[in-house]
Amino acid sequence: MIAPKEKTRARKAVKLRCSAGRMSALGAAVLLVNLSLLVLSGCGGPPESRGGPVTLVLKHAKILGPVDPIPRLLAEFEAEHPGIRIKAEVLPWSSDEQRQFLVINLEGGRPGFDVMMLDCIWVPEFARAGWILDLTPSVPSAELSAHFPSAVEAGTYRGRTWALPWIMNVGLLYYRSDLLARYGFQPPATYPEMLEQIRVIRSGEGNPKLEGYLWQGKQYEGLVVNVLEGLWADGTTLVGEDGRVFPDPERAQHVLRLLRMLIDSGASPAWVTAADEESTRRPFGNGEAVFLRSWPYAVDLFERPDSPVRGKVGLAPLPRHEAGVPAPGSTGGAHLAVTRHTRHPAEAIELARFLSSTRAQRAMTASGATKPTRMALYADPELVRGSPNLPRIHDLTLGGRSRPVTPYYVMISTTLQPELSAALVKVKTPAQSVADARRRLEFLLRDLHE
Amino acid sequence: MRSGRPGAGVTRRRRRARVQGLVLLAPALVTLGALTLYPTVWVVWLSLQRRIPIFGVNHFEGLGNYAFLAADPRFWKAVEVTVLFTVASVALEVVGGVAAALALRGQRWGSRVALSLLLLAWALPSVVTAKLFEWLYNPAAGLVNYALGGVALNWLGDPRLALPGLILADVWRTLPFVTVLCFARLLAIPAEIYEAAQLDGAGPVASFTRITLPLIRRILLIAVLFRTLDALRSFDLMFVLTGGGPAGTTETLTVYAYRSLFQAVQLGLGSAVGVVVFALVMAVAWAYLRALRREGLAA
Repeated sequence: MIAPKEKTRARKAVKLRCSAGRMSALGAAVLLVNLSLLVLSGCGGPPESRGGPVTLVLKHAKILGPVDPIPRLLAEFEAEHPGIRIKAEVLPWSSDEQRQFLVINLEGGRPGFDVMMLDCIWVPEFARAGWILDLTPSVPSAELSAHFPSAVEAGTYRGRTWALPWIMNVGLLYYRSDLLARYGFQPPATYPEMLEQIRVIRSGEGNPKLEGYLWQGKQYEGLVVNVLEGLWADGTTLVGEDGRVFPDPERAQHVLRLLRMLIDSGASPAWVTAADEESTRRPFGNGEAVFLRSWPYAVDLFERPDSPVRGKVGLAPLPRHEAGVPAPGSTGGAHLAVTRHTRHPAEAIELARFLSSTRAQRAMTASGATKPTRMALYADPELVRGSPNLPRIHDLTLGGRSRPVTPYYVMISTTLQPELSAALVKVKTPAQSVADARRRLEFLLRDLHE
Repeated sequence: MRSGRPGAGVTRRRRRARVQGLVLLAPALVTLGALTLYPTVWVVWLSLQRRIPIFGVNHFEGLGNYAFLAADPRFWKAVEVTVLFTVASVALEVVGGVAAALALRGQRWGSRVALSLLLLAWALPSVVTAKLFEWLYNPAAGLVNYALGGVALNWLGDPRLALPGLILADVWRTLPFVTVLCFARLLAIPAEIYEAAQLDGAGPVASFTRITLPLIRRILLIAVLFRTLDALRSFDLMFVLTGGGPAGTTETLTVYAYRSLFQAVQLGLGSAVGVVVFALVMAVAWAYLRALRREGLAA
């Protein structure tokens, strides 16, 4: 992309300096050669020898957990495919930086990687932008039906498959089973029930350090997920049938007021407005809270031998606002996609399919803290022996719901984040922040269609 | 021959000299044009477009982006944050910088060591400074809360504390710049002036307001010019420390432009914000240059 511009600039510079009579022809030639070398080295990849082994580059985020399962899996793949070598490169730590890295490189046209790990919310955007390969012809639909439907949905755009499900996630409620049992409570089905349980347990325990309900209220994607789950629990959603954001603004305000009420009433500490997954997981893991909204990754940490809450944590669906309306947890996770212009599409697809296969997902579940997208693995006797909560997580995931599958999701979410945060910390009223968010998104999305 | 005949030969030579001068200037002019004029014009042009490359949207829109910004609360909040940050941090830096310079002058020994230590803060990359302050401000383990007697202030998470926290970090980082400039000027003031003033009965306050301040006035103006332009464009500190949060209370215009350009990939809207920053910086620079010209400091 840059090459032609650079060259004309170089030519211009050379011409100018020659006309000034300052530079010999030799000097100009040297300069030109140097510049064109620069241009070549900047844009061309290393030349690949024909017939030699094919090298694929896999870009993935660090897989959390006690052991990184990726190197062993890639070694297995290489052993079974003698003509293919895999170079695994780790993406930056934060999700925002990962996306920025991928967007800039893919938009540039020569990304330098063949297979990439995508947060499920990016798949439609990358498909719409024409950066990733349509996998529909290479992946039979029977292969997809083994995954959770919400994961398959997240990898589908305009009826075609763009990415293979790899890692599964779902929002759920952790509760202290020992505390609830001590006061004769069942896991709360509704918010009023949960608030009542918090009141009774905290006054009964007499521990000023014991918080009630922890959730993620910092200005980031996690806040949007928490609000989205609130919207679902209130019977509405974020993006309506007609593509409008907050199709029911009154209910959206109601949800924001409810989240504020959690803080005002003391059921949630004020610092949740700056909290993410880890800063809420730690206090709960130290036994300093009764309830926590988080993802399944935390359960393995709570059950570690040195954990203060080992054996005292239960998993439940998120509470409803009122009886009758279901409250699905938001599903999340990662997919595998293939770069549109990869030189080795067949090999790249083969690698993606291998990594999302039952064998690879079993290995990842056994050694890491990730959960598989393949439903059958949640009943795998060997895996269940290692993490007895798997069947429970399976049921909760089945009840989960994917975030709006639209190419504009990131645009919508990043626009909402400061507005939702403003409502939580009372810089704006809920009505004002909902109105501002809608106005802004209508301007940003005004002529974009699916 | 030199001054006598205004003949045709000399004119031609003069003309040739002028052409040669222009030719010699050309590389500089072209470089400047390519590096500053071209991007500026391009950004202004972009700001009149609706352009979202990843979705293939690209059409002319006129002033639509500006019309949206004019009614955009987030934009006006960013203007407010930028102006507040600039005024507060520059004011504190100047007052603190002069005080530190005076203290340095009064120091009998160790002023060189103190100066080098001060410069250390100035020499640190601002991302490093930001990371440093992230730890200092940590609500649970931070030194700031510990030094304040173990309070539990949530510096970067509280919408009322985040901006003051950022300003403090910026002052810590750039105060040495003002100090060094002032200190250099202070050393050049002859001691006799103060002695004479003392004989005339001037106290420390009078000799500061009547002698020191007027003499460092010009260098202060220059320091303020640099610092103001820097502060108006500041990005790294807030980007690393707060990312513009909580609730947009530390989002400056440059962070807003970045978020529009790189997160929402709205090249038109982001460029419009960039043009506003550019206009703001130019207006301030122009006002300062006028003031400096009155002082006889700039051509």
